[in-house]
Amino acid sequence: MATVKFSIYRYNPEQGGAPVMQQYTLDQIEPGMMVLDALKRIKVLDESLSFRYSCGEGVCGSDGLNINGINRLSCITQLDGLGGRVEIRPLPGLPVIRDLVIDLSLFYQQYRAVKPYLVRTDPEPEVEVLQSPQQRGKLDGLYECVLCGCCSTACPSFWWNPDKFRGPAALLQSYRFLADSRDQITEQRLDELEDSYKLFRCHSIMNCAQVCPKGLNPTEAIGRIKQMMLGKMI
Amino acid sequence: MSRQLSGLKAWLWQRLTAVYMALFTGYFLLTLATLPAPLHYYHWHDWLSATGPAVALALFYVALLLHAWVGIRDVVLDYVHNAALRAALLGLLVIALFAAGLWVVKILLMVV
Repeated sequence: MATVKFSIYRYNPEQGGAPVMQQYTLDQIEPGMMVLDALKRIKVLDESLSFRYSCGEGVCGSDGLNINGINRLSCITQLDGLGGRVEIRPLPGLPVIRDLVIDLSLFYQQYRAVKPYLVRTDPEPEVEVLQSPQQRGKLDGLYECVLCGCCSTACPSFWWNPDKFRGPAALLQSYRFLADSRDQITEQRLDELEDSYKLFRCHSIMNCAQVCPKGLNPTEAIGRIKQMMLGKMI
Repeated sequence: MSRQLSGLKAWLWQRLTAVYMALFTGYFLLTLATLPAPLHYYHWHDWLSATGPAVALALFYVALLLHAWVGIRDVVLDYVHNAALRAALLGLLVIALFAAGLWVVKILLMVV
């Protein structure tokens, strides 16, 4: 039954003033308890604290937070590995709406821009468009993204140009459809990314791959997009 | 210049010039190692009198200037968002790189 001290980012734009770090202490922390469980207990003590969550098991991607300096999902981050002090901040780089809740509009805008859906130019077939196991295999490591935003908000290139650079999450999804044998607008997708910002602000910093709660590697996907562009040029 | 050399082309040139510079650096260090110590100006002069090394060195500087243009321009695109300031900085960069290029030509012509 350990005691853990929490330092949590608090900001309410309606009340004005600068953001502050508020301290909370929780007793009776049990082994295996997640950060989200602790936040829910703090919410009982102080109902003014705001944060997002939904499924609570790492599937919905609603509760991405910066915990002890690293972007991760609070529902699958155990308190055991964090020591006796836990600092919780909103994901960095995007506007804070309140406390730990951020405005993800730019993130979703970039996601929408990569057309994250299959596009067919052929007439609708009578039956499903089939894939071989090999073709389907190419989507492994791409389709699992839950759009939590941990990667894009850990990316310095996205911090500086969130309105122009697609960011790792959107580019991973872009490659997910470029790699899909059923998609038929490969050329159009590649042309759309060919400028100084959308793809090429990526400098392979690899923060995205380091923080992804699903263990995905957006940097590698971005590299593959560059290879496809190169192949198209040559 | 920025219009033609952006996106994929800039990225590709940055990598091609990096490979060339890495190869040339290896070749240059090997050459230095095979020269008798202590080094003198005439070693350098003899080395550059041959066409091969002179062309390789000139290409090295072309690669260096291109590489510097793409790299520093990337830094400016990342951090400088004010259009006027960005134009001024990129303009200064072009002038500085162009001047450095002319200086290299002058030195090489003196030696060769």
